[in-house]
Amino acid sequence: MDSLHAIGFYVSAALAGLGGVLLAFLAGHLRRGTALAITGLGLAGIYTSLSAGFAAIVVLVCYAGCALLVARPDYRTVEQATRTLWRQVGAVGAAVLLAALAYAAFRGGFAHATFYGGAFGAVSVGRLLFTHDTLATEAVGGLVLVTLVGAAAAWRRERPREEREGRR
Amino acid sequence: MTVTLVSVLFVAAGLVGLGAFIVAWKRELTASLTGLPVMFAGAGTAFVGVARFGAATGAPLLGQEMAVLLGVAALSAVGLGIGLAGREGSR
Repeated sequence: MDSLHAIGFYVSAALAGLGGVLLAFLAGHLRRGTALAITGLGLAGIYTSLSAGFAAIVVLVCYAGCALLVARPDYRTVEQATRTLWRQVGAVGAAVLLAALAYAAFRGGFAHATFYGGAFGAVSVGRLLFTHDTLATEAVGGLVLVTLVGAAAAWRRERPREEREGRR
Repeated sequence: MTVTLVSVLFVAAGLVGLGAFIVAWKRELTASLTGLPVMFAGAGTAFVGVARFGAATGAPLLGQEMAVLLGVAALSAVGLGIGLAGREGSR
């Protein structure tokens, strides 16, 4: 990997990390959507610098969709009933997870192989998706269909009258 | 300056940890839902890194395929979560 790709990788990783940090600490739908879009942009840059151009394009489109959904102003705010103590325990657990994964990455003995794929790889990935792993692709397609239908049905469902009147 | 599998896995670990922190820390459910795409981003980065640096035999692009599927799954999860949260205001 040449220096240009390496710089691209580290800059994109910093961008993705910045988006994640902003996502953790910013409030408001629009700001969170923007932070998620920054994360997606950084992730696409990481994939591009690792010679996965097709995955980068797909991920860019998917994360742009996520960002647009999160940035919508008209969905309800649902507060958790969890106490602050348990949220703090969860945050410490996330830190422990990070430490464990970083330790595994640092101490692991990995084989190094030469990469013979191209920079984009759409044909090879498409061949994998639609011939070798057709069942997995169809399963994910079914999951997406069920998810979108379920989300649309839940979105359009009328809330109970007393709930609507109680909120006014 | 170079990139190795270890540095890719460090970035992946950071993204997974950050996503787990967002899921655990945010009080609002729709906000904590946004941690899922960040965790999926970390997993996808690890898959692509292994496909790029460590896949010696078999299908070397399986990691890229998994990254594509994880991106689609992230979009589905966010869509379902926002849909289940429902619309604000009277209709």
